[in-house]
Order: sequence, then C-alpha cells, then structure tokens
Amino acid sequence: MTRADLLSGIVFLVLGVAVAWMSWEMPRLEVRRIHPATVPGLVPGILGLALAFCGTLLAVRSVRASRDREGWHAFGAIFVSPETGRAGVTLALALIYALGLVGRMPFWAATMLFVFAFIMVFERWLSAPEHPLWRTALAAAVQAVIVGATVSLVFQHGFLVRLP
Amino acid sequence: MFDGFVLLGNGLAHFMTPTSLFNVAWATLLGIMIGVLPGLTATMGVALLVTLTYPMPPDQAILCLMCIYVGAIYGGSRTAILLAIPGTPASAATTLDGYPLALAGKGGLAMGLATTSSAIGTLVGILCLALLAPLLAEAALNFGSYEFFWLALFGVVVSGQLTAFDDPIKGYVAGILGLLVAMIGMEGLHAYRRFTFGVPALGGGIDLIPAMVGAFGLAEILVVMKQRAKARIIDASDRVVPRLAEIWKYRRTTVRSGVIGTLVGIIPGVGEDIGAWGSYAAARRKSPEREQFGKGSLEGLIAAETGNSAAIPGAMIPTLTLALPGSAAAAVLIAAMFIHGIRPGPMLMIENAPFLYQVISMLVLASLAITVYGLLITRPLLKLMSVPRERLMPVVYVLCVIGAFAITQRLFDVYVMIAFGIFGFVLREMRYPMAPLVMGIILGTLLDVNLRRGLAISDGDLTPFFTRPVSAVICALIILTILFSIPVVKRRVTSLFSKTDNAAPGEN
Repeated sequence: MTRADLLSGIVFLVLGVAVAWMSWEMPRLEVRRIHPATVPGLVPGILGLALAFCGTLLAVRSVRASRDREGWHAFGAIFVSPETGRAGVTLALALIYALGLVGRMPFWAATMLFVFAFIMVFERWLSAPEHPLWRTALAAAVQAVIVGATVSLVFQHGFLVRLP
Repeated sequence: MFDGFVLLGNGLAHFMTPTSLFNVAWATLLGIMIGVLPGLTATMGVALLVTLTYPMPPDQAILCLMCIYVGAIYGGSRTAILLAIPGTPASAATTLDGYPLALAGKGGLAMGLATTSSAIGTLVGILCLALLAPLLAEAALNFGSYEFFWLALFGVVVSGQLTAFDDPIKGYVAGILGLLVAMIGMEGLHAYRRFTFGVPALGGGIDLIPAMVGAFGLAEILVVMKQRAKARIIDASDRVVPRLAEIWKYRRTTVRSGVIGTLVGIIPGVGEDIGAWGSYAAARRKSPEREQFGKGSLEGLIAAETGNSAAIPGAMIPTLTLALPGSAAAAVLIAAMFIHGIRPGPMLMIENAPFLYQVISMLVLASLAITVYGLLITRPLLKLMSVPRERLMPVVYVLCVIGAFAITQRLFDVYVMIAFGIFGFVLREMRYPMAPLVMGIILGTLLDVNLRRGLAISDGDLTPFFTRPVSAVICALIILTILFSIPVVKRRVTSLFSKTDNAAPGEN
C-alpha cells in the first residue's frame, strides 16, 4: 500500500497545484464590481492548496515508511493478479454496454446482450470449475430475456422513464 | 410539547392508508433483500430506488426510501450471521459474534435477537429524533453564513477523520476531492462557470445521484466481482423468536447502544457502521462477559445491531434540521427530498413542520415492518443469499445505468456514473473512505457560498468567523478533530489521560 500511497500522493499534489493555479487564473470579475473577497476562485484555490498539502504528506510518509525495492514488485503484482483481471473484465463489459450498446440499439436488446455476455463470461470462462456450456448458455439466455424485457417494460410503462 | 404529540399523531394517522401500508410492506421487504444480498448496500439501494419514486407523491416517495434504508441496514445482519460477510458495511461488527453463534447452532436465535435489537435501536433513535430535532431546528434559525460555513467544513472534516480506515489524511483527501467536485459548474454568487472546460453539460454541475450510483453501485460491483472465494451459508434451524427474558437481560446494553448509535448518527457523514462499532466497543468495555466477545456473545450481537439501527434516526436529525447529511444514505435522501420539492434545513419546522413527524412515523412503521419480516420470513431470505453474484451483478448494473439516466434523461449522467464508479473503485482499493467524498459533494456549495457571503457581509473581515459563539465552538471542534488525527498529538493526549486514570486509585 505504501507505493500506491506514494503514487496517489504525487497525483494529488499535482492535481492540487493545478486546481490552485486554475483558480488563481480564474476571472476576478472586476468589471462587475464584486467584492474582492468573493471571487469565484477563492474556495477552489484554498481546496487545491489543501489537496496539494495532503498529497505531499501522503507521499513523504510513504517514502519514509519504505525505502526498499521489493515494494515496487509487490505493487506491480497487483496489476497482474487474477482478481484485477476479473475486475478488468467486469469493467470492460460495463463500458461496452453503457458506452457502446446503449443508445445505438433498443435498450431491451442492449440489456439482453449485456446480461447474456456477463453470465457467460463469468460462469463459463472465469469460473473454476467451468460450468457446462449448454446449461450455462441456456440459463444466461433465459435470464437475459427476462431482465431485458422486464426492466424495459417496468421502467418505460410503469415508471414512465424514456429509456435511452 | 403537546403540539409535538399532536403532530406525531397526525403523522402516524397520515400513513394509515392502504397505499401507505402497501408501500411500507414492499419497500421494507425490498430493503431487507438489498441488505441480505452481499454487495448491495443501503446507500446503493436508496440511490437506485430514487428512480422508482419519481411518479409518487413526495410523502410516499420518502416513505419508500426510508423503509428501504431501514430494511437494508437490518437485512445486512442476516448475511453477517450466516455467511460471515456483512450484507452492508453497517453489519461488519455483527459478523464478529453473529457468525460464531451460527457455527454453534444458534443462528436462528442470533437472527431473532438481531431483529428485536434493530427494532429497539430504531425506536431509541426515533425518541431522540423526536426530542432533539425541533430544538436543533429552532437553534439553527439563528445560524448565519458564518455558522453554516463552519458546519459544512465540520461535516467533511469529522467524516474524513472518523470513517478513514487507517489514515485520517486519506479521509481528508476524499473530502477535499468531494468538495472540488462540487466546485464544478455554475457557482451560486456570481453565476460564473467554474471548471467546465467548455463542456456545456458540466455547466449545471455534477448531480449527486449519478455520482452516488457510480461510487456505491458500479464501484461495489467491481469490488464484488473481483473476489473469487465463495462463502458457505451456515444452516440455522433453531428457534428464531427470542424469549422476552433474553431481551430483558441485556436491556442496559440495548439502551446504551441505542444512545451511542444515535449520537454517532448525529455526527455528519458518520453513519451506521461507526454506530455499530462504537456501541460494540462500549458494550465490551462494560460487559462482565467481555472475554466472550468475538466468540459468540449475544450481548455483542445486540450491541452492534442496536447501534447500527439507532444511527438511522440519529442521522436524520442533522439531515432534516440542518440539511447536513448524517450518513451517506442520508445524503441521497436529501437529494431525493429536493427532487420532490421538500427543503430540509432550519426552515423545515416553519415551512413544513408536519414533515418531521411524518419522517418519525415512517421510521416507526419501518421498524415494525422489519420486526414482522425478521421474525416470520426466514427461509425465503436464506434462499436469496445463495443467488450467485454472476447472475445478480449484471442486473444491478443495468439498474445503475437506468438510475443514473432517469433523473434528467441524458446519457451524460451515465458517463458521470461510470467515471465515479471507476474513480470510487480505485479510491476504495487504496483504502480511501467514500463517505467524506459524498459529504464533500453535497456540502461543497454550502461551504463555498457561505464563506464568500460571510466575507461579503463582513466586508472581507474574517473576525466574525471566529468571534460569534456558535462559530467559535464549531471552529474549535474542527481544530481539535484535525489535531487528534496527528499521531503525536493523539499519543500525548491519550497518555495524559491514561496517566490520570492510573494515578486515581493511588490517590484514594
């Protein structure tokens, strides 16, 4: 965790300085004769500086806590672990559904495809032991149809939400 | 005093209609199901279900959301007892004694006592809500910009300090990030657009609901799907309904835990999980059977469940009277209230006094409903626990997309949800708490506008921020909170008090 803290500390330091700089550069609206103490950049500027300060503290403390090289190996190992792979696959499916499918095809169809693909991926390929192909495919298809149809009908007609 | 009773009576009578009772029945059951299912939290449930309440009248909408909130916090105890996984973070302390009890063949009794403790805890909290909220609302009428600025800052700082897992700085960072998110869009004093980078959709700022659905929905899905291990459900076939003697035996623990839970709930942004841990720690300190704690102590289980449930009415005290969310789920409730045209805050008691008592009635009905469901429906809820996450999570994600989209019907909010989901997941993995982030988003505008308005009123003079009595007190609390998060200071102060304690017996 110390390496992650070091990196996140640096990111927050940079972000904080960037926010403070943008706040400083923000118009002071002198032409509108506003009170100088109420400029729009005041609060974001203070917050930017506070974030930079906290980021610095985090980074400095994590450097002090550990100086060995092993930490970087442990940190790198997180990204190639099977758990991270599972989270990555989940995120990829979620992004394909929300950014790629929704809005380009009817909502019910996008939902059916997503639910089917999700169940197949996790029950067939990322499961140990693997579930039988035909049984999984059938169960996934049935759930996909039920979810796609129910969600679309309930929200569109029951709760009057105009689905994308 | 009598006005209060009349208003409370009216509040209860208001919901004695078939529609209201039907809403209590389904919403509480849905809440319990959300709580039972690992990976679905109360905040996520309330955020997702806001969508369903759009077509409803405001009172019925808030009634449903409140029942879901109470139901979910209670429902989490089932999973904690039988699966050793807290159904919601609020049940983490319940796991410590609930699971050993289930292993010892007392799972049914543990579930029964969790039910009665939750109901009693909610009732203790309700009593405090009914007594304190009107007083606080009246006091808050005298608050000006200076006090509201400090209160907003206090909410973020104290939430950052108390909800941080291991490092208060991470809590503060999460709070500052939330405040910065609130800075996006048109600001309230001069209508200047900040940090919009030419994107028109950012002009209105980041809506809380899509952000919450992302941070508590998508992020949670990623966390759940990441794990590989599956837990085994312990069979619980012993009696569920506890004897009165068993409840009466631990009455002191119940009342103490109820009060502690409520007090923790009142602290802005610090919710049920800390309520449960606080009550559990206090019960262990006071108990003659303290060595049993963590090994299957009924008292520990009662303390945790009373504490987390009492925190709900506690959280509603600042939520209703100051518009300062008492917990993450209460933040969503504030957003939902605004959507339905209810303005929480000091003016609530003047503009809409019956609403406070309607909320109290909602909590009473919800606690009755969890008692009935908890003691009568055991088997079907057990089945629910065995729903594979591979089948459940895609459905939850579809609801996240709809929940984010439905408010303004624009895809931009879906993108916000995804961004906050990824951001929330990364922050969680690095052990940053989510509650301060939420507090920052909801309190950012309050903090910004009141600081600058205060400065405008005082012509740029900072003195009133420190000299007005209430301001000075809140400012001192903030400074103390920050000082206490510095390890050296905390160590020194703690050792100072422990020395005094040690010296005391010798002096006698």
